[in-house]
Amino acid sequence: MNYNLNSLLENADRRQSTFASIKNLFIHVVEEKSILIKAFIAMFISAGLSLLSPIIIGHVIDKYIQTKVYGGVLIFSGILLTMYITNLGAGYVQTKLMGTVGQNMLFNLRSVVFNKLQSLPLDFFNQNKAGDLISRINNDTDKINQFFSQSLMQFVRFILVMIGAAVFLLSINLPLGAAALSPAILIWLFTKVISPWIKRKNAVSLQSIGSLSSAVQESLTNFKVIVAFNRRDYFRDKFKEANMNTYSTAIAAGVANNFLMPVYSFFSNIGQMIVLTFGIYLIARGDFSIGLLISFLAYITSFYNPLRQLAALWANFQVALAGWDRIALIMNLENDMPVVDDASLHNADSTYIVSFKNVSFAYPDGADVLHNINFNLQRGKTYAFVGPTGGGKTTTASLIARLYDPTKGIILLDGKDIRSYSPEERTSKIGFILQEPFLFTGSVRDNILYGNNNYKDFMNGKLHEELVNSGLQSLIERFESGLDTKVQTTGEGISLGQKQLIAFVRTILRKPDLLILDEATANIDTVTERLLEDILQKLPPTSTKVIIAHRLNTIENADEIYFVNAGEVTPAGSLNDAVNMLLHGKRIS
Amino acid sequence: MAIKNTGNVKSKPKITSLLKPYTGMILLLVFFALLGNGMNLFIPKIISYGIDSFTGGNYVFKTVAFEFTGAAIIIFIFTYLQSIVQTYTSEKVARDLRKKLADKISRQSYSFIIDSNPSKLLTNLTSDIDSVKMFVSQAVSSIASSLFIIVGTSILLLMIDWKLALTVIAIIPIIGVTFFAVLKKVRVLFKKSREVIDWLNKVISESILGAAIIRVVNSQQSEYKKFLEANSEARGIGISILTLFATLIPIITFVSNLATLSILALGGPFVITGSMTLGNFAAFNSYVSILIFPIIVIGFMSNVIAMATASYQRIDLVLKAPDPVEAGTNVEQLQGNIELDNISVLYNEKPALKNVSISISGGTRTAIIGPTAAGKSQLLYLLTGLIKPNSGSIKFDGRDIQDYKKDSFHSQIGFVFQDSIIFNLTLRENIAFSSRVTDESLAKAIETAELKDFVDSLPQRLDTIVSERGTSLSGGQKQRIMLARALALNPKILLLDEFTARVDYKTEQIILSNILNNYPGITLISVTQNIAPVESYEQIVLIMEGEVIATGKHNELIESCPEYIQIYNSQRSTSRYELQS
Repeated sequence: MNYNLNSLLENADRRQSTFASIKNLFIHVVEEKSILIKAFIAMFISAGLSLLSPIIIGHVIDKYIQTKVYGGVLIFSGILLTMYITNLGAGYVQTKLMGTVGQNMLFNLRSVVFNKLQSLPLDFFNQNKAGDLISRINNDTDKINQFFSQSLMQFVRFILVMIGAAVFLLSINLPLGAAALSPAILIWLFTKVISPWIKRKNAVSLQSIGSLSSAVQESLTNFKVIVAFNRRDYFRDKFKEANMNTYSTAIAAGVANNFLMPVYSFFSNIGQMIVLTFGIYLIARGDFSIGLLISFLAYITSFYNPLRQLAALWANFQVALAGWDRIALIMNLENDMPVVDDASLHNADSTYIVSFKNVSFAYPDGADVLHNINFNLQRGKTYAFVGPTGGGKTTTASLIARLYDPTKGIILLDGKDIRSYSPEERTSKIGFILQEPFLFTGSVRDNILYGNNNYKDFMNGKLHEELVNSGLQSLIERFESGLDTKVQTTGEGISLGQKQLIAFVRTILRKPDLLILDEATANIDTVTERLLEDILQKLPPTSTKVIIAHRLNTIENADEIYFVNAGEVTPAGSLNDAVNMLLHGKRIS
Repeated sequence: MAIKNTGNVKSKPKITSLLKPYTGMILLLVFFALLGNGMNLFIPKIISYGIDSFTGGNYVFKTVAFEFTGAAIIIFIFTYLQSIVQTYTSEKVARDLRKKLADKISRQSYSFIIDSNPSKLLTNLTSDIDSVKMFVSQAVSSIASSLFIIVGTSILLLMIDWKLALTVIAIIPIIGVTFFAVLKKVRVLFKKSREVIDWLNKVISESILGAAIIRVVNSQQSEYKKFLEANSEARGIGISILTLFATLIPIITFVSNLATLSILALGGPFVITGSMTLGNFAAFNSYVSILIFPIIVIGFMSNVIAMATASYQRIDLVLKAPDPVEAGTNVEQLQGNIELDNISVLYNEKPALKNVSISISGGTRTAIIGPTAAGKSQLLYLLTGLIKPNSGSIKFDGRDIQDYKKDSFHSQIGFVFQDSIIFNLTLRENIAFSSRVTDESLAKAIETAELKDFVDSLPQRLDTIVSERGTSLSGGQKQRIMLARALALNPKILLLDEFTARVDYKTEQIILSNILNNYPGITLISVTQNIAPVESYEQIVLIMEGEVIATGKHNELIESCPEYIQIYNSQRSTSRYELQS
């Protein structure tokens, strides 16, 4: 399956409408209706009260000021004061509730994106640059965040006030109201025409920001190579290119974003002019009053002012939508490795813990790695996979752990199609120590208990006991503060060998039926390696071990040796045979 | 941190100092902003004139329409010009600042990058610069035009009717004070919210970088829990911030409503008594709505300024960091004689190497052996000048390492790092990574690293782009690319950091003999776990816990050093096979 987001973006339908984007976004985030209803009620009260006040003022002007009645002015001032105080309360409730809805939506959005990410297979992460992915998730959700936390509230309120103002305008005087609102139609048409352009410019700009940060990330994380090879210019040049690109796309986006505001102001002023001139004309004809004209001018401000703000928010909104579209690409991806029913009738007699039946595998970029592999692994035995680099050892191991599915053929785990196991069941059976160990920021304890449901609530004493029993305690003691030693993902200050030790302990503690060590001790010294060997011997006799190595001393205890080369897996017989194959075999890569 | 490093609070940079080189553009920006907004103040005037002339009976449609349209067009032109200048200026400031920062970073030493943390530097280059940009694009022109509108409106109001004007102007300090009080609280929360977002981003980043292990142990659930914790915290802070705003916004609306009310309750009677015209009464109403917005804008902008100042201070800290001094001038060819004298290295205030003394003569092979985390890699980092010793001296051919010109020094030392670092470039650019590499030395390096068959098997050969984390390459292939990269320099000294860990035995043997044949006279220093391949080396150094335990040839150490014998025995059972070749 194609998981490459950049090529997916090129293929995506660029003319997806704003509405479709919004709908798609809201499907993912909307939840609580009741709070939304309450917020809307508060908003209606607040907007209604705000909108009532100009007409009252107009009424006072016509009825009392022009006829010189002090009392009426005072009475209505009192009424207005009461309205304003009520509005104060309603405004608070509305802002608070709408804001809560916005925050909850954002919370949901982040959660669904994160869960989607977790549900995708490893292939997805291999096909995309890590820096680009991180930027996509973090920056783009942040753009949406800014919209949700700052603009959404105002957005909804503005729309409501505008609708209300329009209703008042039209009901006070239909011809004048219609004339006053006519520039709004032009604004609407104009926005509709120009929005796709703005959105496109912003999408391009976001993309170049993404490449800027991945350029920086690549150079900074590999700075030692830059220094040792005297290639500071590499960083500068790469950065310069990305910087110029970011600059020009940002200007294009900025010019587009800033175009709406002046146009809106212009039409809003034209609206006011129409009210004034046409209004005076109507008054002259006796169809209108000065008080109402003043109310009208207030309504026209209530209508066009939010509209102008909306222009600013709209650009904001387009940025958020551009961000959302990039995220939606991820949301639309599906895991291509579902759990299937084991329809076939393989013999459930499982002396074999793993069987490969006519398995072939190719990476999505077309590189063919394994051709028609067959082998069976018996429970309780130790197997070694040896062979030159690039021969397919890691791929074979990854298939056993179902990090990928074979392109052809079938893999049986305990006599059943490996694809029919739930992830929990499969991963509890298989312990895989990866070639490149990864640590999470936290303590050594966090890392060795990582993903371990059985021990997660262990108190220190019990964990200590377990570590001592399994012989792992001596490994933990190599870290200066033992279990409490702090480690970081970036992992400076901790050696690769130490990382491998943590990965080893992590996997052993899970007590897997099948343990795969992929060059898992390559950077550990041989004395410690002996110790690891002893720990492996202590595992229950039913557990099966698959050791991938090219260092021969790590495989001397293997019951059976497989030679992996050129996409073939062949039994090697004795250690001597394996050595001969390794020494004299043809290397393809 | 800022205070500690600059040693002086006064030297904290003002963000406005950043704008100096752009004075022309800023002035233009402010000029357009003032013109556009100044024009806006005329609109209520025109309205008031229209109403009054109508009630006075001398209303001329054409004049009003003409003035109104003219004002609208002028406003349009100036606001759009303003927005364009604004975009150009802010993006230019951002671009130049990014460039300055990147240049600075690119000149720094490796230890500076590690100490300042690459992800922090990335934040400096991205979001910190963004907030500076926001300052330029929004704060400068908004504040100028807001102040202009507040002052202008106040003057116009006072001219129309000073008594009523004073009542209305009284809302400015009320709104201002409320705003600052609330924003002061909000700022604290904003800072907290930034921290939580950083935390959230870290959880997400780790879940992407650790994708493989997460899928191996099926820990999506526990990743989600970590994420949920951060996400809930973010929501909590978000809600606290908006609660403050939920108090603030209705108060502002209320106060401005009171202004409208006082115009009606006080101004109404003025109109009744005839001390004020109806047109002016309408103008008063219009001006109030114009007056409120700039006050709010200034409040918001004070926040933008605070954030931008904090960001700029972080950026400035990096910019002000001293440049590493290039003192060395020596460009002589290295012979490969290396003398480490009494070297100590502290890592996080703990010793990583203690009083290490090693002597290596040019053209020999030296192996450095020792358990995991003994300080072996640090030793190689010292030899390349990536890190500096806390005490002791490093001499190449009798001269201090600092005396050599970096450019020439680095081009003579090939370092094969332990971890595979592949750049997102073509294979050719990855191997010929230094600018000094010729086609000839590239070909020789590829051949020596036994990469020729692999390169030939690729459809685009050397022009194949290899991906960022090198996922389409096997561990051994990556390692051999790293070796070829080092060899392409034609180095006098070759440093191998656990090169054998990912390359199979047979290939390793072939490669090592290739190196000796193709690069005669090279000084080889190899950090390794495996004794067998290095038994014939001229010198083996055993390091444990940062200390040199023993130095000598294999047959000497096997007689005298118990730790060495222990390591040897742990590997012996298979060494008979390895001797076959």
